[in-house]
Amino acid sequence: MKTCKQFCDKLSDYLDGEIAADECRLVEDHLEVCPPCALMYECLKTTVDICEQGVSDDMPEDVKTRLKMFLRTHCKSD
Amino acid sequence: MTQATHRDYVLGVWVDFANLFLAVCIFVMRNGMVEDQATIDRIRDGDYDAFEDLVEKYQGRVYRHLRKMVKDGRQAEDLLQETFLSAYKGLKGFSGSSSFSTWLFRIATNAALMFLRKKRPESVEYDDQINSTEDRGFMPASPEFIRTPLEILLSREGRDKIEAAIDSLPVLYRSTIVLRDVEGFSLKEVADIMDTSVAAVKSRLHRARNSVRETLSSYYTERNLSAN
Repeated sequence: MKTCKQFCDKLSDYLDGEIAADECRLVEDHLEVCPPCALMYECLKTTVDICEQGVSDDMPEDVKTRLKMFLRTHCKSD
Repeated sequence: MTQATHRDYVLGVWVDFANLFLAVCIFVMRNGMVEDQATIDRIRDGDYDAFEDLVEKYQGRVYRHLRKMVKDGRQAEDLLQETFLSAYKGLKGFSGSSSFSTWLFRIATNAALMFLRKKRPESVEYDDQINSTEDRGFMPASPEFIRTPLEILLSREGRDKIEAAIDSLPVLYRSTIVLRDVEGFSLKEVADIMDTSVAAVKSRLHRARNSVRETLSSYYTERNLSAN
């Protein structure tokens, strides 16, 4: 019999599809009957979902320009 | 239809959908790899404009990764320049056994880790501590976090909180969560980039995600309570 903490320790791997099918079924069965673990899963899933959009890949235009100039100077001189 | 039959049917549909999604992902990924390989071939033939195309394609993502690793925009810029110069010089040795993006991010990660080991060794060598309650026992999650609308979670304020939560992690943990959950690399690719095992990546990812979850959960619990 696994504890809630043991199930929660599997949630990250579960989100990545990195646990075996039988263990996957055990996690899903537990989430159906355990509201605190289901809440933990939703929180973790929300965290993962918002990370991608939460970290900007905006790059200042002056950084782009300096990179282009730097590379033209150093690559073309080779 | 019995409950068990219905469940098997739903599971079957889900598996079909997952397989279709996987096939689309592989197709898109292979197309991207083929496209990069064609560009690399042009660079090897002396076409410098092709190299600038690759720089244009990847510069934003590499800069973001470096900025998260060293937490300093100016230093991230220096490392960005060093990364693309190393990539240009090393393209002859690029075998294509991994994707170009994996290879490029490995160069960037190594450059950042070398910089940190030289300038801030304490930030890498004493990196095992992570600010998470997981080792102190099972902590219940907060409903306030998942009740918060997405437009607030991804507002300017919300994104600042996500960035701060990631920035508070030790470098190996924040690199892992950025490569996996922000850049979308597979666990195997993250392991290749960070020169470690998939098991180590899984362990770091588990702890990093839970630390970020705790930080955001605490923040939105307090925020929503003070608003009521």
